Amino acid sequence: MSNHNIVGVGGLAVSKNPAESIKTFALGSCVAVIMLHPPTRSVGMVHVALPDSAVARGSANDRPGYFADTGIPVLLKEMAKIGANSPGNKGMVVKLAGGAKVLDPNNIFNVGKRNILAIKKILWSLGMGAVAEDLGANFSRTVSVEVKTGRITISSPGKKDWQI
Amino acid sequence: MTTQITHDEILAAIKKVPLIPTSGTQLLQLANQKDHNLTDIINIIKCDAALTGYILKTVNSAAMSRGKEITSLDRAVSLVGEDMILSIVFSEAAAQLFHADLDGYAANQGDLWRHNLRSAIAAKKIAPYAKLEVNPDTAFTCGLMHDLGKAIISHYLEGTTEEMVAAVDHGDFKDYSVAEHEKIGFNHSEIGFELAKHWGLPEPLPSVIRYHHHPQEGNIELQPLLFVVHLADIVSMMTGSGTGADSMRHSIDPAYSDYIDLSRDDIARIIFEVEIEFNTIMSSLSGEGEPK
Ligand SMILES: [Fe+2]
Ligand SMILES: [Fe+2]
Repeated sequence: MSNHNIVGVGGLAVSKNPAESIKTFALGSCVAVIMLHPPTRSVGMVHVALPDSAVARGSANDRPGYFADTGIPVLLKEMAKIGANSPGNKGMVVKLAGGAKVLDPNNIFNVGKRNILAIKKILWSLGMGAVAEDLGANFSRTVSVEVKTGRITISSPGKKDWQI
Repeated sequence: MTTQITHDEILAAIKKVPLIPTSGTQLLQLANQKDHNLTDIINIIKCDAALTGYILKTVNSAAMSRGKEITSLDRAVSLVGEDMILSIVFSEAAAQLFHADLDGYAANQGDLWRHNLRSAIAAKKIAPYAKLEVNPDTAFTCGLMHDLGKAIISHYLEGTTEEMVAAVDHGDFKDYSVAEHEKIGFNHSEIGFELAKHWGLPEPLPSVIRYHHHPQEGNIELQPLLFVVHLADIVSMMTGSGTGADSMRHSIDPAYSDYIDLSRDDIARIIFEVEIEFNTIMSSLSGEGEPK
């Protein structure tokens, strides 16, 4: 059994210890942004709950991972601290999971969709794009990444585990 | 495979659940009064020696008292406030249900407590956005109790998770609670309603428990409160506090916009504020497992 680094809502973790994995539980409309850096065999994850830190009115600094606009830059910074960086973020592999759907014709509670859009926009502005994703639908996801292989396993109650 | 259960079986199962203390019911009644204050709360708790002792013990746990022992109930209650007191009281008074393993939902230990607590906080924060007045403290207690029926129905749903999930995802049922009702004859809201009556919980609690997934089936005068709790439940599932298989498999009733006036920024702000308060309460209650 490998060591799980548990990432809470709005939390993040990075690792290049091949004996470890990074795991987050019960993503509803939240999205796990996972970064893999093959040259250094490093892995990172941030659990994003909301698209934009403006609503936190300054207190986003306490929990930068909670928001897409602050969470992704902070994850890159943490990855760089363990040596996982390259010019223009080239070589960083990004995968996304979560962002479950709430069908709201009033377009207020579709936070999952807004998270996904915000994350993609920010990734794009930083020269990155997701190569794999498991997003939307009507169930919650628990996601774990093995540092050694970068393999991502998704589980959801009542379903067989799958990988992206 | 699933089998239908009878009303008598449900009532028999509910009778085995320990009653909640009178002080608990009195606190729920009080929360529902518009102009109550902390002194009223203290007066109820004072008459219950066991509860007073438990509150002092919990408040004195390192995180909350910061090293200085608190020996008076007045100080304890005014230090931590009403939400925390109600959380302490009911996590203890209905511990057997709140901390039940929801195997019938393939959930994790503690999920039901976390889901109900997050829903309670969300309901209190959404209440001010109702177009007609909704008492935020009533909303809190309704959120806290809304899914307790799951602790009882779970046993009857054991082994059905894969089948239920497949049926809901295939569109055979509108949502998970309809699937429960069709498969075994009752859903967790109906069972929670029976439990609330057995406990003698004051209205509007039994009605809100009963209709939280389908608010329009409830009485007209309860619509604003029902929609507040309905939305709070959705927020709780969205933000990481579901109860396993049914999480995100309940639909939102879009008619909420007739009763509640929320913008995208409002809901984002509410989600963030709920997160902060949820973590404060979770880390202050001892023995509740990892903050998640
Ligand atoms: Fe429910
Ligand atoms: Fe619920």
